[in-house]
Amino acid sequence: MVGHGGLTGMLGEDGIHVDMNHLKSGEVNLGTSIMAINFKDGVILGADSRTTTGAYIANRVTDKLTQVHDTIWCCRSGSAADTQAVADIVSYHLNMYSIVNNEAPSTQVAAALFQELCYENKDMLSAGIIIAGYDPRHGGQVYSIPLGGSLHKQSYSIGGSGSTYIYGYCDANWKENMTEEEGIQFVRGALREAIKWDGSSGGVIRLVVLTADGAQRHLYLPDNGYAGPGATK
Amino acid sequence: MTSIGTGYDLSNSVFSPDGRNFQVEYAVKAVENGGTAVGIRCKDGVVLAVEKIITSKLLKPGANKRISTVDRHLGVVSAGLAPDGRHFVSRARDEASSWRGVYKGPIPVSALANRLGSYVQAYTLYSSVRPFGVTSIVGGWDSEAELAVDGQVGSGPQSGSGGKVKGAKSGGPGLYMIEPSGLYWGYYGAATGKGRQAAKAELEKLDLASEKLSLQDAVKEAARIIYVAHEDNKDKEFELEMSWISSLDGPTKGKHEEVPKELLEEAERAAKRALEGDDEDEDEGVKGTGNEGERMEE
Amino acid sequence: MTGFDFSNYNRNAALHAKGVPLPKATSTGTTIVGCIYDNGVVIAADTRATSGPIVADKNCEKLHYIAPKIWCAGAGTAADTEFTTAIISSNVELHSLSTGRPPRVITCMTLLKQHLFRHQGHIGAYLVVAGVDPTGTGLYTVHAHGSTDKLPYVTMGSGSLAAMSVFESTWKPNMNKEEAIALASEAIKAGIFNDLGSGSNVDVCVIEKDKPTQLMRNYMTPNERGQKERDYRFAKGTTAILNEKVFTKEDLRKYVTVEEISGDPNLMEVDP
Repeated sequence: MVGHGGLTGMLGEDGIHVDMNHLKSGEVNLGTSIMAINFKDGVILGADSRTTTGAYIANRVTDKLTQVHDTIWCCRSGSAADTQAVADIVSYHLNMYSIVNNEAPSTQVAAALFQELCYENKDMLSAGIIIAGYDPRHGGQVYSIPLGGSLHKQSYSIGGSGSTYIYGYCDANWKENMTEEEGIQFVRGALREAIKWDGSSGGVIRLVVLTADGAQRHLYLPDNGYAGPGATK
Repeated sequence: MTSIGTGYDLSNSVFSPDGRNFQVEYAVKAVENGGTAVGIRCKDGVVLAVEKIITSKLLKPGANKRISTVDRHLGVVSAGLAPDGRHFVSRARDEASSWRGVYKGPIPVSALANRLGSYVQAYTLYSSVRPFGVTSIVGGWDSEAELAVDGQVGSGPQSGSGGKVKGAKSGGPGLYMIEPSGLYWGYYGAATGKGRQAAKAELEKLDLASEKLSLQDAVKEAARIIYVAHEDNKDKEFELEMSWISSLDGPTKGKHEEVPKELLEEAERAAKRALEGDDEDEDEGVKGTGNEGERMEE
Repeated sequence: MTGFDFSNYNRNAALHAKGVPLPKATSTGTTIVGCIYDNGVVIAADTRATSGPIVADKNCEKLHYIAPKIWCAGAGTAADTEFTTAIISSNVELHSLSTGRPPRVITCMTLLKQHLFRHQGHIGAYLVVAGVDPTGTGLYTVHAHGSTDKLPYVTMGSGSLAAMSVFESTWKPNMNKEEAIALASEAIKAGIFNDLGSGSNVDVCVIEKDKPTQLMRNYMTPNERGQKERDYRFAKGTTAILNEKVFTKEDLRKYVTVEEISGDPNLMEVDP
């Protein structure tokens, strides 16, 4: 048929999915470096802050770390519109869950909701999401949902266009049961490399540390080689 | 009955001037004629038991079960109109399955009870339907293990998740009873049906709140209580049906199953023995507590 | 033949395949900006509307009313920004009436993003949402596909790059109202002069806490048409007369013959 070649998720003549991650012209993209890790007391999420439309940086201080419940957060990559919409829907369902069932949802519940949305609407979405959460019973957990909508439980997860540059860094430097300080160094070091090598990533580094004490934000600026200021709020 | 002839008992959606819904009260009467059902919640599991009245000698013994499995970890037993009970179970299965569809894991017993309570309540609101003629006991075990999300790949860090808090709430037994009005409470011990008063009196003696009774002993107590409750209905024959759900390291590994034949028979023998003993006791002094009249009323 | 007729679909598909482009909508190839200051927020826009290479309107309005203290600047397809802001304005007012509270900027932004996301980018509205509500000052951008950003200063439209260069070089925190208006209009002027899609005048809207909103239509008119120094009229006698010949009416008669038509004149009458 005529005029379908450019649409997202359409089948090519050979019946193979083509151009899954195609963005409609003018769509805002999170050409991104995101990651989340487990550490001794919980989880740490991290992201750069660059949002692009083609070659233009539409936002240089974007917050790609999005809260969907008290201690369940996600890192968004792919289409900004799609990932914001998905996160908003999950956030709504988790709020309803905690009211109806009179207890906070587990990270598994959040991951299940994200996966359901990403899998059932895979033809319409370009979203790569990492979910990280803390709850007292399960501790910290990291789940990754790449493009097709599969769900992966991981000890740490990296995503976005910038992640391709730091597989080696992460594999070489990763160790389990790091302290909070070691974890922050690991994430910050990895994202610094991703930003350095990936043109679609840049701006500031944002972190969120999730532990029994709740959520703590960190900010690292390019002005001083991402050395500070550190914990905020 | 005060309601007869007033017209306020003809429809579900009409209150009587003093704020009663007679259709619901009539549904309770249907329950009060059903075979006694009990549930016991102990630390390491839940037991469900029912007195199945044999209405015909032509019925196959052991067939026509009255306790149903709703999900792997959930059982339901009801007293009252059996077809209503089956519809209730069907809905319970739909709810459990729908939960799995959305949340990719087993439904907690409390959440199932909540949804079923809402479902039963909706049948008290409309003139086009009648309330459920059953009171149902829902028993289950919320897994104490860390369950994977259905369909997930991988299992996270080798060392396990960090930052766990010792003693954080993690699964356990659940026992709820849902009445025709939609009212439901969580119980240590629940009883409904014809012999509920006798059964409740027996359950209270067990001091279930202290959680000292073991699941094995609870099976025997449940059997005995059904036999005690049957005392006032001796002219009818009955079969004892029992199921249980234990913790993951218990005999059923967190699953809802029938109590094995040998254990059931042993429990029945013990129940009969206890009953014979009771009769003697009663001859000695328990007689005349003055409770009998009160019990029969309500 | 009964039922639906899809022949136009096939025709359009065939035309599209041949490379015939779709008809162009009037788009506000635009510069719009917004900037927060100490006590409120200011948004501004140019006033050029284009249709392909043609300037369709030299003084259009791109600042749209949502609520008394929430306004939108729109870029993209003119009709889409117009109708999207109108429908959200209507919904915001109904919401405000039903809650009995003044509307919030974030509510408006959420309604817009959900509306635009639902239509998957087919509504070509790119908006700057600004306002003041009981929670404080709000400034957001909303893109046609439904993504949003929250920033202290924003630009959108084809002139956004030129306008952003002004913000990035001269913006400073904690500006007062006058500084913010000056900065925003300067950013629009950068769009007007450096972007082909933008032009004409500067519209400004100032929304401040505890003060009525000020819409300053044509706050600046940097492209006023000056007096022409020359015109194209020629003085009489500029063209020389080589010869002259005058025809009278009587002269023309010799070229005309008149014939009477015979027969029944009633035959000419049809259905009196």
